[in-house]
Amino acid sequence: MSGEQNSESRRLRLEIFRYNPQDEGSEPHTDVFEVDETPFMTLFIVLNKIRETLDPGLQFDFVCRSATCGSCGMMVNGRPALACRTLTSDLPEEITLYPLPAFKLVGDLSVDTGTWFRGMSERTEAWIHERQAFDPAVQEERMSDDIAAAIYENDRCIECGCCVASCGVANVDPEFLAGAGLNRVARFMVDPRDKRSDAEWFDVVAGDEGVFGCFGMMACADVCPKELPLLEVYAYLRRKTLGARFSGRDRRQ
Amino acid sequence: MNSKATAVRKTDVTTSTSARRQIVYEAISGGTGLLLALFMWGHVVLVGSILTGERGFDWLATFLEDYYIAQPTVFAIIVLFLVHAALAARKIPSQLKERKRILRLAKGLSRSGREQVATRTEHSPFRPHVESMLWIWQVRTGLVMLVLGSFHLVLMAMDILTPLYGEIAGIESATSMARVSAGLWLPYAVLLLCVEFHASVGLYRLAIKWGADLWMSRAVMHLVERIIFWVILFLGAVTLVVLAGWMDPPLAFLLDGAAS
Repeated sequence: MSGEQNSESRRLRLEIFRYNPQDEGSEPHTDVFEVDETPFMTLFIVLNKIRETLDPGLQFDFVCRSATCGSCGMMVNGRPALACRTLTSDLPEEITLYPLPAFKLVGDLSVDTGTWFRGMSERTEAWIHERQAFDPAVQEERMSDDIAAAIYENDRCIECGCCVASCGVANVDPEFLAGAGLNRVARFMVDPRDKRSDAEWFDVVAGDEGVFGCFGMMACADVCPKELPLLEVYAYLRRKTLGARFSGRDRRQ
Repeated sequence: MNSKATAVRKTDVTTSTSARRQIVYEAISGGTGLLLALFMWGHVVLVGSILTGERGFDWLATFLEDYYIAQPTVFAIIVLFLVHAALAARKIPSQLKERKRILRLAKGLSRSGREQVATRTEHSPFRPHVESMLWIWQVRTGLVMLVLGSFHLVLMAMDILTPLYGEIAGIESATSMARVSAGLWLPYAVLLLCVEFHASVGLYRLAIKWGADLWMSRAVMHLVERIIFWVILFLGAVTLVVLAGWMDPPLAFLLDGAAS
């Protein structure tokens, strides 16, 4: 059964990264905390317990506790994961927590994913581009179930940043779109309401910061808490862009 | 198209040209990689002719040279090899700091979730991940191949095109076996391991990059990749052992009745 515990409960040893960039006296280091494991314990519960009983100064982000808000992404034993969705029973007794790399550090385990995602949204212009003037009298166009389902699949992204943190390219190139960005691009490419042409998409998708900057390390797909079909998205983008390039549809009219 | 309708912000000519170039680089590095990997399978089978004995090997070598198949192939492979090296290497970050960061990330990713945890549930979000580390090893094996492969290609070009080694201008089993047993077995063993690893992982990655949603599932592709790796590695290793003279050709009986 999920979360089943041994009769004798474990004592967890957490090594947590500490650094406050706002404080000039602060030096990056790690602190070790020991916590008794309880049934169905998640890292969210552990961190709150530490903040309540051991160190009220520990910084970390949470909102929903149910893998919906995407706030609690952190490096758990070297891999990006959502703290709220990670049961301690899945982990060894020694747990190391670091903030997500590739993002600006706010303090301790808290990072600023918002600036990265805003930049990505602006560069990909992640909104529907409509050419016609809005006419309130006309009924909306219908969309097939298949397309609606495909868009919904891409839209399940919660922007936690785990794919970005796990991406070798995003770790050395802050402009790289990474899993979340390419998934977003595909979401609007699939949408028939978005009137952008292949030529307009071309620069965003095909450049160094787009899908051809990808190394193919596949970590994004393996760490995504929502298990989005990211590799399938990239293959779709690659083939579509290659088709546009060699049929001349990549050039603006 | 008027400026209002120009949706994407990065519209300047340099970006567009760069994007157009990137896609060509990616296609060429993938295409040359595919051709080289396919060639390597053929190569292992052809060199494997030594398993039938020196006579089979020499007959095949002479055939490929008499009909001018070997000579242009050597040139083609040298060109493919250099083009692939140049274009695939564009992905390797230039700064040591960047490479170290990627290495640390890849190590952490492949280690995590592998710990022995008695209470681990089947719903653990820690899915196995080795492909980042495989990429690092592809870079490493690629660099080894750049050195050892260049040496091998030059040696073979001289063998095929000049009478410098052995009796004739062409590959001869006596020369090859003398070389391998004299000590070249060591660099060749390293080269074999690097080539087969690099090629099978490269094909797996290429298939995922362009067709993750087609053909077969990723798990199946990964399995196929590992099977190909071990089969070709085994064949190549046996061939090398026979070339070094440590084992009699195991398939010699095939040519027992053949006229010389």
